[in-house]
Amino acid sequence: MSITILNFLIGLGIAFFGFVLQTSIAGLNRKIVGRLQKRVGPRWYQEFLDIFKLLSKRATSHGWIFDFGVIMALGGIIATAMFMPLTSTFNAFGTYDNFFIFVYLLAVGMLGMAMSASGSGNPWASIGVMRALTTMLAYEVPFMIIILTIIKIAGSSLTGIQLYQQAAGNNWFLIALPLGGIVGFISLMGMLGKKPFETYIAPAEIASGPMVEYGGKQLGMLFIMHEITVFIEVSLFVHLFLGGATNIFIFILKYFLVYTLANLISNVNGRFKIDQVVTFFYKWPLILAIVQAFIAIYLGWVI
Amino acid sequence: MANIELLLLFLLASGIVSYFLTKWKSFVGSVFTIFSTMFVFASLAMYGFSGQLDTTVNVIPVLSFAQTNIGFYFAIIIVFVYLMVSFFHPYFVGEYKYKNSYNVMFLLSLAGVIGTFFADNFIQLFFAFEFIVWTSMLLIPMGKSKKAAVSYYGFSAAGSFAMLFGILVMRSVSGSFDIDLGLASLAGGQATLVFVMFLVAAFSKLGAFPFHIWLPEAHGNAPHPFSPVLSGALVKLGAFVAVFAILRIMPSTPLIDFANSNLPHIPLGQYAVVILGSLSIVFGTLMAIKEDDAKKLLAYSSMSHGGYILVAFGIMTSQAVAGGFYHILAHALASAGAFMAIAAVAKQTGTTKMSELGGMIHKMPITYIVYLVAIISMAGIPPMGGFISKWLIFQAVIDKGMIFVAIAVFFGSIGSFLYVFRPLAALFLGQELREYKVKVKEAPFLMLLPMLIITALNVYTGVIPSAILNFTNGMLVDLGLAPVSITMWDIVGTTGTLNPALIALVFGFGVVIAFIIFIVLKKSKKVTLMETYTAGNFVHDEQLLHYTKDFYAPLERLYIKYTTIMKEFYETLAVKVKEIGRFGKYLFMNKFIGTTILWIIAILLFLLVGEVL
Repeated sequence: MSITILNFLIGLGIAFFGFVLQTSIAGLNRKIVGRLQKRVGPRWYQEFLDIFKLLSKRATSHGWIFDFGVIMALGGIIATAMFMPLTSTFNAFGTYDNFFIFVYLLAVGMLGMAMSASGSGNPWASIGVMRALTTMLAYEVPFMIIILTIIKIAGSSLTGIQLYQQAAGNNWFLIALPLGGIVGFISLMGMLGKKPFETYIAPAEIASGPMVEYGGKQLGMLFIMHEITVFIEVSLFVHLFLGGATNIFIFILKYFLVYTLANLISNVNGRFKIDQVVTFFYKWPLILAIVQAFIAIYLGWVI
Repeated sequence: MANIELLLLFLLASGIVSYFLTKWKSFVGSVFTIFSTMFVFASLAMYGFSGQLDTTVNVIPVLSFAQTNIGFYFAIIIVFVYLMVSFFHPYFVGEYKYKNSYNVMFLLSLAGVIGTFFADNFIQLFFAFEFIVWTSMLLIPMGKSKKAAVSYYGFSAAGSFAMLFGILVMRSVSGSFDIDLGLASLAGGQATLVFVMFLVAAFSKLGAFPFHIWLPEAHGNAPHPFSPVLSGALVKLGAFVAVFAILRIMPSTPLIDFANSNLPHIPLGQYAVVILGSLSIVFGTLMAIKEDDAKKLLAYSSMSHGGYILVAFGIMTSQAVAGGFYHILAHALASAGAFMAIAAVAKQTGTTKMSELGGMIHKMPITYIVYLVAIISMAGIPPMGGFISKWLIFQAVIDKGMIFVAIAVFFGSIGSFLYVFRPLAALFLGQELREYKVKVKEAPFLMLLPMLIITALNVYTGVIPSAILNFTNGMLVDLGLAPVSITMWDIVGTTGTLNPALIALVFGFGVVIAFIIFIVLKKSKKVTLMETYTAGNFVHDEQLLHYTKDFYAPLERLYIKYTTIMKEFYETLAVKVKEIGRFGKYLFMNKFIGTTILWIIAILLFLLVGEVL
């Protein structure tokens, strides 16, 4: 297929849609959690207000790498979101939505943020980055083993994976690979930085970790980046395990359910220590992932 | 036409000239070295890509040369790394004790490189190979430690002798030293023997598990401008030997051949290579994460990347092998770039220990960018070269459905984010330490030039890989594999299509958008690095705000007690070897001269009897 400027604009539209969707749903979730804790909770658009307030404030900067890292982080994440298909028929770049792009282009954004945080010269930020990278090492390996199984079955294009699950006679991978679904969800919790894997934010412990030095527009941009990152990660789960979506409303519904479930689980849990995160992921999720891959690839049992 | 023989003679002659020039003025001698290396690189590049190198021999009697695609691919990469590194010589060589021999050894080892990759028979290949080992062995002790050279030579010698043994076995079977003939004549037990012997050579050169002990010693202690050559170039000799062993000695028995076609169909020998490669990836990654010296950290990362190359070759599908070849190039560029950036820092500060450095970015921003691009490629993140090769290798691993190998390759891939980030955070970023605030300045132009060229190539290999993949396709055809299907922009794998240029373009687009958002908003107030959140405490010392020592301490604690096992094993082995030596000495050379004579006669008799039989 030929790529024109239109594809880029559609991609940008998807990234923007992702931002609006996730920010609204995060606002709704604040309300839901508020009700869970017998509070009223903020209005659903509170997250937007926070971000716009931050963007309008004058901030401090710790040198060029501090700013450049933020730009690289937001740019990398926008670029990743541009590849994300919304439904099985609507995406920006056709069959180029290769799964590996999402894992590795996401890493550019993460690297930008880590770089910027370390560039602030605050030890809390460095500790936060260290914990974030360690957490990544923990959740990524079991997740990738499950992804290997899915790619082996359905190819590595996200649209292709959705179409495979939607085809008659095939189940969603959450059902077809039940152990894989569990591992995928636990890894998603790690990716989102939800409790009990919230170690690298840990506001009461390391003062929000990487975010400690930010304020004003830099923090606002990192909030936008965070929302789009969550959009990418939750959408990946929807497309990989929940059969994707045939239209945008089903997508939003599935998206809302997945994110809310993760958030609810998060709110009734404590926080692991960082070495507990590593030992946790390298125990049960990894074993389940290997068992699932073995069953699906070598024995060929896919429900 | 560029004649290989003349290039060799040219290098020998310019080695002698550079000896006297360097003795006179080290700067002049080093500049001469740059031009000699440049001449060799230009001649190879000009005629080599079209296969027009002249391989006839007119002057030296016994030698004979041939140009193969694989040999040329390795040669051009390694000569390129030599050329780039030679730009560092004017600033480093003057400090060394034997400065005149430094340039000579450098040029002679380059001659050895050309001799190795254009050799058309095994015995010449072996001698050229040894020539590189000997010359580089004399270069390494000019750095920090003499012991490092001993360790390097010990493992290299073990590898070389194993290879010589394999070559002689082939000679006894086929009756000649010819490479193609020798490899084709092998069968059965002899094939296995040569396979194992060549693998010992490949593993020890590549620094793969279990022969990895020398790698951090040699890389970490070598002179700063020679570490990039070791890691980017000379380690790849192991990959060259691995190609012979893994891909050209044909496997005999498939591993487990159930009727089920889902199992990976890989011969046992190659499967063992894949497993050892996976172990190299995991151990290299874990050791790199806990290392404090930036050069040793990169050395362990070379071990892990050597593991990727072995995994790729061991899987033996065209995608995997293409990924392996591409990884050789991508890693050579990335590791040369990273090592050169570290060398530039070491030149300014005199140390490579990350716990002693900090905030270099403020004085050395260009070096920082070079290092950043190099590690993005090393970690396999788009839009750099390392992503393409890792993507190809992942495709192959997934296609074969190798679960445990996948754990290793993904662990190594994510783990590389951890260890490459360490020098970035500890050495370049963070607080600017007081002792470096005054005297440190950006590296001189002549050192920045090669680093910037390498940076540009790191990006090029990640954005437009089709030209290089076309060349590696030629190599695949030589090896009897199907070429990887590529178009101008796309790489088609078994499970999906990749368009690297599109990824780079979208990434650039995203950054532009982010930049626009950034620039339209209110301008920030610039504050110093000491004005940070310290929970209400007044911290007056930069060192106290700089988190570098034991960066990954919580993770390290989980495996630190297992890290010395291999080292202890080799130390025990060394003690045992010494004991055997003492026993031999006791038998042969005690104070009664008669015992010695008795043994000599006994051995002579034994040999004579053997000859009669």
